[in-house]
Amino acid sequence: MAQKPKVDPHVGRLGYLQALVTEFQETQSQDAKEQVLANLANFAYDPSNYEYLRQLQVLDLFLDSLSEENETLVEFAIGGLCNLCPDRANKEHILHAGGVPLIINCLSSPNEETVLSAITTLMHLSPPGRSFLPELTATPVVQCMLRFSLSASARLRNLAQIFLEDFCSPRQVAEARSRQAHSALGIPLPRSVAPRQR
Amino acid sequence: MASSSRELGSLFDHQVQRAVCNTWAKYREGRRPRAVKVYTINLESQYLLIQGVPAVGTMKEIVERFALHGATEQYNALDEYLAEDFTEVYLIKFINLQSARAAKRKMDEQSFLGGLLHVCYAPEFETVEETRKKPEVRKAYVDHYVTKKLVTEHKDTENFRQDFHSEMSGFCTAAVNPSAGNSNPYLPYSCELPLCYFFSKCICSSGGHVDRASDSSKDDRNHGKTMGHYNHNDSLQKTQINTFKNSVAYPDRFMPRTTKLQERQRRREDDCKVGTFLETNSSSNEVMTGPLLPDISKVDMHDDSLNTTANLIWNKL
Repeated sequence: MAQKPKVDPHVGRLGYLQALVTEFQETQSQDAKEQVLANLANFAYDPSNYEYLRQLQVLDLFLDSLSEENETLVEFAIGGLCNLCPDRANKEHILHAGGVPLIINCLSSPNEETVLSAITTLMHLSPPGRSFLPELTATPVVQCMLRFSLSASARLRNLAQIFLEDFCSPRQVAEARSRQAHSALGIPLPRSVAPRQR
Repeated sequence: MASSSRELGSLFDHQVQRAVCNTWAKYREGRRPRAVKVYTINLESQYLLIQGVPAVGTMKEIVERFALHGATEQYNALDEYLAEDFTEVYLIKFINLQSARAAKRKMDEQSFLGGLLHVCYAPEFETVEETRKKPEVRKAYVDHYVTKKLVTEHKDTENFRQDFHSEMSGFCTAAVNPSAGNSNPYLPYSCELPLCYFFSKCICSSGGHVDRASDSSKDDRNHGKTMGHYNHNDSLQKTQINTFKNSVAYPDRFMPRTTKLQERQRRREDDCKVGTFLETNSSSNEVMTGPLLPDISKVDMHDDSLNTTANLIWNKL
């Protein structure tokens, strides 16, 4: 049997979202923060909420949360951004708020969901075929995608491949690949070896 | 680098059933107990993994149950997956994501032949092309929703203008020209607002509510183990904030407190004037309505100044 609503119907959706944002800002409990952020991130999937979310500055809340030490909060925040960035107004807000570097940072997360959400968000922020956002196709990003395309994870592999094929030019990929070949990145450092005596 | 190692046959992290969260705050507790999880387009998939199917040769039955929610393209048992004793794991691929979403919402945690099904998305089975298509479909849906919402608001704006025009013509003789001033169809308030000052109560309503697009309800997402149940149209509250109505409808004029106090003072003064008028005309044959109250006997304070004060008080009463 369905329970009665726990929220006063008169509060409405905007009021409910406002209550979530208020709780996130005021609570000291990490569990509560995670719950509320996940709640907001799931609301961010529904376009009917976008106007309220912009009004309540939830986009900025998500962007701020990308710098949290708590990996779960980062995962939920980038998930929220991934959910709402297909909308043009949201996308412009993220770009103007300087969200791209924060999202690129998420590519180095050990959490796979965080990385997947970051890649998808970058894809939505950069229309295919155009490169008017050079920071999205900068060499380090392309190199990162090249590494992901070799990952054991099929989801990561697929997304990286799509990013390289649809959002990077062949020249950019070739340049990143050649730089990677000569780069020391990925080569494990030797264990403690005594220097050769001459 | 994201870690995604997994032993052959074991579940991925996103497929592991998470524990239900028991520490929800009262105001955001849902109908069903849920875990803390965020669903994105990456996690959703037309592939569903079904665990907990009793191993009694029920593939046909389970596939038929799931096919009730949409056309399926392929299905097979996953023998390499570690399953609980006496259960099997199946993979079903739906033609489209919406069907998979609906099937997951309806079938997850459902009883089936004595077992409890656990249904989750299985995006790891997608091809590159299927993965590519997902964000494109998602973007197309969001664009379509936003465009449709703008068109609906525009239509309601036009309806409102027509309704407003017909109502106002009965109130004022001056021609109402809604096209005067700001003719931006998406900002009706800017051109209608000044007319409201002429009427203390201007009950104007738009021709129709701008309903929140109900398309999202047709795309019901099941978060399964998540919150966000308010996303759906089957959410706890059917009340919808209608910002268009709020922006266009004319509520009673807001009167600040000091104005109300002044208004009361003015009314008292008017009543006093009326009372004085009535007293001066008490000799006329005017019919008095209401009960005739007994005269209040005046108190003699045995002092002129006190009597004056008392009389003033009695008169005020």
